[in-house]
This record gives sequence, structure tokens and C-alpha cells, in this order.
Amino acid sequence: MRKWRNFWVAMIFLLPAILSVVVLRLWPAILALHQSLLAPRATTYSFDNYIYIFTDPVFLNSVWITLFFSIIVNPLQIAVSLGLAVVMNNKLPGTGFWRSLILLPVAIPQSVSAVVWAVAFRPDGLLNSLLAVFGIGPQRYITSPDQSLASIILVVSWIGVGYWMTMLIAGLQDIPKVLYEAATIDGATAWQKFQHVTVPQLRRPLTFVLVADTVANFLVFAPVSILTNGGPQGSTDLIMNEIYTSAFINSDPGSASAATMVLIALVLVIVLIQFRLMSDRGEK
Amino acid sequence: MRAMKTGLAGLAAMLLLTAAGSAFADPVTVNFLTAEKPETFADAIAQFEKANPDIKVNFETVPFDSMVPTIEARVGGKDSSIDVFLVDTPRVPAMANSGLLAKINDEMDKVKAVANEESQGVLTYKGDLYALPFWSSTQLMYYNKNLFDKAGVAYPSAEQKDRMTYEQTIDMAKKVMAGSGAKYGFVPEQIDRYYQLQPIFEGNGGGSGLTGPDNLTPDVTNDKWIAAGKFYASLFADNIAPRGITDDQMQTTFTSGQDVFYVGGPWQFTNFNSVKDLHYGVAPVPYWKDGKPQTPTDSWGVAISPYAAHPAEALKWAEYITLNAEGLAPIIKQNPIIPVNKDAYPAYIDWIASLDPKIGPDAKKIMTYEIADTAVSRPRSIGYVAFETVMNKAFSDIRNGSDVEATLKQAQQQLTSQLRRIQ
Amino acid sequence: MKEPSGIDRITPRQVFHMAVIVVIGLTFLLPLYWLTLSSVRPEDDIFRYLNPFSLWTFIPNRLTFDNIVNLWTGVFARAIFNSLFVAIVTVVAGLAVCAPAAFALAAIEFPGRAIVFTAMIVSFLIPFDAIAVPLFYLMRGFNLQNTYTGLILPGLGNGLTVFLLRQFFLGIPKDLSEAAQLDGMGWFGIFWRIYLPLSTPALISAGLIMFIFQWQAYLWPLLIAPSNDMKVAPVALAQFSTEYHVSFGLIFAGAMFLSLIPMVILVGFQQYFTSSVAATGSKE
Repeated sequence: MRKWRNFWVAMIFLLPAILSVVVLRLWPAILALHQSLLAPRATTYSFDNYIYIFTDPVFLNSVWITLFFSIIVNPLQIAVSLGLAVVMNNKLPGTGFWRSLILLPVAIPQSVSAVVWAVAFRPDGLLNSLLAVFGIGPQRYITSPDQSLASIILVVSWIGVGYWMTMLIAGLQDIPKVLYEAATIDGATAWQKFQHVTVPQLRRPLTFVLVADTVANFLVFAPVSILTNGGPQGSTDLIMNEIYTSAFINSDPGSASAATMVLIALVLVIVLIQFRLMSDRGEK
Repeated sequence: MRAMKTGLAGLAAMLLLTAAGSAFADPVTVNFLTAEKPETFADAIAQFEKANPDIKVNFETVPFDSMVPTIEARVGGKDSSIDVFLVDTPRVPAMANSGLLAKINDEMDKVKAVANEESQGVLTYKGDLYALPFWSSTQLMYYNKNLFDKAGVAYPSAEQKDRMTYEQTIDMAKKVMAGSGAKYGFVPEQIDRYYQLQPIFEGNGGGSGLTGPDNLTPDVTNDKWIAAGKFYASLFADNIAPRGITDDQMQTTFTSGQDVFYVGGPWQFTNFNSVKDLHYGVAPVPYWKDGKPQTPTDSWGVAISPYAAHPAEALKWAEYITLNAEGLAPIIKQNPIIPVNKDAYPAYIDWIASLDPKIGPDAKKIMTYEIADTAVSRPRSIGYVAFETVMNKAFSDIRNGSDVEATLKQAQQQLTSQLRRIQ
Repeated sequence: MKEPSGIDRITPRQVFHMAVIVVIGLTFLLPLYWLTLSSVRPEDDIFRYLNPFSLWTFIPNRLTFDNIVNLWTGVFARAIFNSLFVAIVTVVAGLAVCAPAAFALAAIEFPGRAIVFTAMIVSFLIPFDAIAVPLFYLMRGFNLQNTYTGLILPGLGNGLTVFLLRQFFLGIPKDLSEAAQLDGMGWFGIFWRIYLPLSTPALISAGLIMFIFQWQAYLWPLLIAPSNDMKVAPVALAQFSTEYHVSFGLIFAGAMFLSLIPMVILVGFQQYFTSSVAATGSKE
């Protein structure tokens, strides 16, 4: 009966956390579910809100854009973070300072970062004046339907890669040096060492970073809201932007909640898939 | 006998104490929510509290974009934490319909005494009064005298009878740009916003964009709208106005001396006057050759929450800053927005005129004329917010080069389905 | 690409490495430098020198400290205090919630442990911004608007923190707790006297994650604490863009301070950040 005694002790340890999960996540989520089943001015449950959003070309576009965005931004950010981690993982003087600098954008409120980037993206802004120095003509960035999503990817990556880089540096530092020494003895090049020692050893932290980054990228909102408002022509209309617009601008809590439910479901499915794919060794 | 005397004395004492007690009762607090800086209302509040020692006004501010969500969350949640708040007048029908505004029909006569008809219209919904008149707005066309001098072009006139058409304005802008090397020729301030662009789209006879008995039927694909859209698109395609600059940064094109014409509100006076070496003049905004001159108007009104804890005191404060010129005076000093109250208007306009003796008289002339004769309010509809949101996105797409007809058609479709959801 | 540590002579390879680090660091430093610069120059100069690129783009020709002075004599001083207070309390209380939970999930064998862990992590995947509105109504029902409690509560339960702390605790050898139990120590003693003292780096890094989360929060504080004396700094900054005028000088000055404070913290603690998360990598 040790196990059951353990159970109650564990519950005491877990109580505050369980309470916060229930009160701060599950309860509001259930409220949102309830809200999503109530059509405007209705008093009985129905799927009207869901039907509305799934026949709304704007919402469907936002789902498509979000998925498209996800497929590009996640591998990109993982690759960049990994590269940064490899470069910044050393004891050279001042590295700690530079690492903090790369991490800093995470701590700055996104509304602030977005304002700074808005100035950078202006047709007469810093990015174009920098390009002019190299003789490249002015780009349109967030006003061009072709460049806008890429611009958002740039902003979001500037804000986020420091976080993932930090986690990967930790993972790198955990790799036993013996493995590298053995590889050197076998005559491996730096690239081969990277391929056959670093990457396999990083499997756990990489999985974690991939999953967490994917979730974070599904929730991108502030840069879109401040820089592009979903445009031009809906090319940056990520799903959180649509949810916010429905809830706070159109005062349509029904479709906002329905869209939220869809978002949650999407996130859960993709996270589950990623877990399956990457942890055949058995996540603990 | 003795007992009765004592009893009476006791009763009298009790009554006296109660009376004394209520005279020293805790002051009632009125919670007042706006999107303005505290300095704007500080003096008015101090003045009011002095005249009404039993009322305290608690001032709260949230960012402009959050005003509506905040009111919906708090007033909509039926809590009494907000008593009085500023309401964006085009939203009055929707908010009244959602039960967020208290009916104040008893104030109707007082309102009629201080506000003109156009301004009265935006305060009502289905015949009931829901807000008190507070601020209004108008637009002027500022122009950069330095650039005109450099290009050797004569200044435009400030007389409304010499008002230029859009065609004439753009031609003049191009000439000045060519002669002075200016980067931009004609920049509307609140770019991609229906408020600012309404004269361009409605002023040539195309209608406001909403029609039908309750203004719930969208009509943005008629020929006049498409023509207006093409004109708007041309501003950016021909590099007369910039893409990619957000509306809150627009004024920097003028303050940095790189723009010929700037269409904006009178609130820019203090801003422009503080910039060294910026010599500017004012002219009336342009109009369509075959249309009537039209200017944007309206601003905030003052409304009372139906769930206010102290409705009588709340009304007192609301009246003080709207129907009472004395209450408006300190507010005007802090924030140069046009008061609707016609008794407070002369003090305001004279103060504006005094800001810059060179252009003051012109500004006074133009503004007074526009408010009285060319102001057209935004369409009154419970679907106004949805309309404005969809149209602003459409304007933004047009600005960024998408096909005008296709964009307007798409907006029409979206509006039809969204407005249907509201009815 | 791990550099051997403890070698005193500087090789050309190291010099090149450092150069790469500095270049990368500079691209992150640039926006922040521009931000700082803009806060000490007169407002119209900020936009005057954006384009074309000139010396004045990066060196101010007119200095003014008006922006900074005006910033601190307003609501901002109180707002920074609020932000700091909320963030610090969140870290302390958050660790008190997450560490015991992570401990129970890592060290105590009890039936259903895997389910509780999965359920907890999955629940925290529910995007916060999406359930902010129902949560707001819920909190308002308890009269928590415009209170520090209302601001702090959502930051307490953090799935990432629980996950990382649990990973770290999993790395602590079981023999330690088994030996202690043989000696008669209960679970609380094991937690308090064995696991916690060994976990300082992990706790610091978990604390950093929670600090960052609260420091850059915007939507939630805006909803729950809009009053002047309860505003947090990012919300107070938004006040400088009114309908009629945007005080860019004030915004940039405020943004600079909002970035400086976490920068100091990050630089001070970043060594713990990487070394701790290290233990959550591929330990087994």
C-alpha cells in the first residue's frame, strides 16, 4: 500500500499546481467551449458558430496562412538557433554578454519590439537605408503581399531565437567530450562530428525545442497586430489575429471562442504528432 | 412626563446626529474612464470637486485601441466599476443596442440648447438619447511653405470659395514636388481609416458605403466607389503618398519637412508649431469636381453606464464637462479638440487662432465654416464597427497595390455575411 | 565545435570565432542601440535621419534628456515598480508552486503519475491569450481587478517551468532519496533537504523563465489592471500613443528602460541559465 500513501503525499505536492491548471486553464477553456456553442443571441447550444467560421473565407485563409507559416518558420528557427548555439557555445571572453544580448529580445514586450521594427520597415526606414549603402533598391517588406510573411518571420525570429539558442547551448554542453575525442581519433572532420555526434546527442533537447517553438509560433499575435493587421490582402493573417479581431473588435465572442477551440485542437494534434515522430526512444 | 421628555430628547438627538452624519457622509466616487492622458482632465476634475465637495471623480485611462474591449468587458459584465466613460460616437448605435449605454432622454432639451443638429444626431439611437456631446473634429489641409517657396509656386488660398478639387490639388502637389525635391506630395493623416477617407469615397456621390433602412446593407462596389478607390490607389502608385508608414507615424512626413500637403486635424497645431524651421499654412480640404465639399467630423461623447453605482452623481459630472462651458474650459486648455458645446466654442477657436498669429485667422475661418457647413457624420448603424474594420483592411490593400474592383468586391462579400450575423 | 577550455594562447581560429560572435551580437545590438539613441535625441530628429544613411543616423547631433525626465516624472515610475514587484513575486510564488509539483512528478512513484504529468503539460499548452477573456470574467467575479493578485496569478503555473524542473529532478540519483527514506526521512524532508539544495541552477533558470514571462506580458495586465496606479510598464508605455499624438521620444525612452532591466538580470544570471538547463538534456 506504499504506492497509495505515495499517491496522497504526491497530491499534496501537486495541489497548488493542479489548482492553477484547473482555475487558470481548464475552467476558462470550458467557458470558452460553452461560449463557442452559443450563436449570437441564442440561448441553446448549436454548432452555428463553427459553421460560420468554416464557411468564412477569411477564417479559412487564416488557418491556411498559419499552417504555411508554421511549416516555414519552425525548421528555419531551429536551424538558426542550432547554428547560433554552436557558435556561441564557448568560453571566449565576452561570450556571456553576447549571449545575453541575443536572448534579450525575448524579455522586451512585443509591443515595443514591433514599434522599433515598424520604423525599420518604413520605406524610408533603417533597413532600406542600410540596403542603399550596398546599392540595393528599397524593398517593400510589410506592404508587399509577397514579402510580408517573410518580414513577420524575421521579426518573430529576432524576438525568439535567443530562447531556443540558450536551451540548445545547454544541451550541447551536456554532450560528453569523450565522444568528440573519439571522433577526432577516427579522423572525423568538424562537419562529420556535427552530423554524427552533436545532432544525435541533441535529440532530446531538439525535440523539446521543436515542440515548444511550434506551439509558440501558432500563437504569434503582437507583431502581426501592430505591423500588418493581417494584410496585405490577408497574407499575414495568422489565426490569433483573427481570434483577437473577432473577440475585441467585432465583439463576436461566439466565433472567437469557436476559432480558439479550433486553434487548441490544432496545437494538440501537431504536438502529439511531433512527440510520436521524435521520441521513439520513449520520452520519460 | 419625564420619560416622554427624555424620549423626545433622545429622538431629537438621534435625528440631529443622523442629519449631522449625512452631512459628513463619505464622498461618492464617480469612476471615469477615457483614453486620454490624466493631465487633460486634471484641472476640470479639481474644479468640479471644489464645487461639489460630496463627489470625487476617479480618473482611469486605457490605450485608445482598448477602450471598446474594456467597456465591453466591464460594463458588459454588468459591474459597477465604471460610471462615466467616453464613447466614440459612431459606435453609439451598436453600444446602445448591446445595453452598454444608459438612456438619458431627460437631457434632450439641454443638449439641443448647446449642440447643432448634425452633432445631436450622433448621440441618439432609435429616438433615444444615449450620450452627451463632448468633442468634435474637423480636417484642414496643411501645406509646407518652404517647399512652395523653393518651387516658386503660389500658396493655395484659405478661402473656402477657392477650395481646390482633388485634381487641382494633386497637380499642384506634383509641381511643388518637382520644383523642390520634396519626397511626398499629399498625405492624409489617418491613412487607411474610414474616418479620414470618407470624403474621398462619399464625396463624389457614391454614398457612405452602407444603405438600407438600418444602414445594414453594404454598397461599396458602385461606380463612384470604384473611381474613388482608383484615385486613392494612384496616390501611392505615383509616389505622392507613402506606403508602409503607419498612421501614427504619418505626421513625421510633414514635421521632417518632406511633404507638400498634409490633411489632418487641428490637434496638429501644437505639434507642428514646436518643430523648428517648419513654416506652414492652412487651406480647406479638397473636394470632388462633381460633388459637394465634405469633411470628416465627430469625436467622443460622454456616456453613463447603465450599471453605475451612483447614476445621479455620474450624470452631474457628465453634464459638467459637456453642457457646461465652465467645465469645458480647463479641458480645452489641455487638449485642443473642438468642443461641441457652442458656448465653449468661441473660447476654443480664439485660442487656436492665437497659437500662431500668421495662420490663426485662416484656421479659424476654415474650421468654423467646415464644422457648420460641410461636416458629414459617419453612417449610423449597429454594424458600423464591422463595416469600418472590413473597409479599413480593404483601404490598406488598395494602398498596397491590390486591384481596386476585386478588393471592393471582396469587402462587399465579407460585409454581407458579417452584417447578416449581427441582425 | 567546442573550444578546449583553459588554453591561454589565442589562436587565429579563436580570433575568427570571436569575430563571428561579435558580428552576430551586433545585429542584435543594433536595434537596441538605435532605441537608446532615439530616446536621447529630440523627437523630430529620430525620423529625420533615417534615410539616407548618414553619420547622424547613429550618432546624435543634438542631445536631450527631456524624454527621460518627462518619462520618469509621469506614471512610468510607478509602472516600473509595479512590473518589478509583480515579476519578482511571480518568481518566488511560482517556484513555490512548480518545484513541489515537479518533484512529485519526478521523484515520487505513484499510480497515475504519467497521466497527471501529461494532463498538466497538455493543459498548459492551451494558449493563454486565447482564454484571457473568460479568465478575466472569472477573476472579476472574485473582485481581483486592479490588484497585484490578479496580475500575478496567471504567471504562477507555467508548464515549461514544471517540465524543465522535472527533467532536472529526474537527473538526481534515486539512491539519495532511497537512502534517506531508509533513514526515516519523509518526502517533504527529501524535497527540502536533498533535492532543493542540489537544484539552485535549475531554480534560477526556472525563475528567469517566469520573470521574463511576466515582464513582457501585455494583454493580460491591460485587461485586469488598467488603473493608473496598478498599470505595469508595457501598458503605461502604450499610453503615450493617444489618438492625436504619438510621443515617440517618450516611447523609445520607456522602451530603453524596459529593455535595460531584464538585460542586467540576464547578463547577471545567464551562466545559471545555460548550466542548469544542461542537466535537463540527455542525462539518461
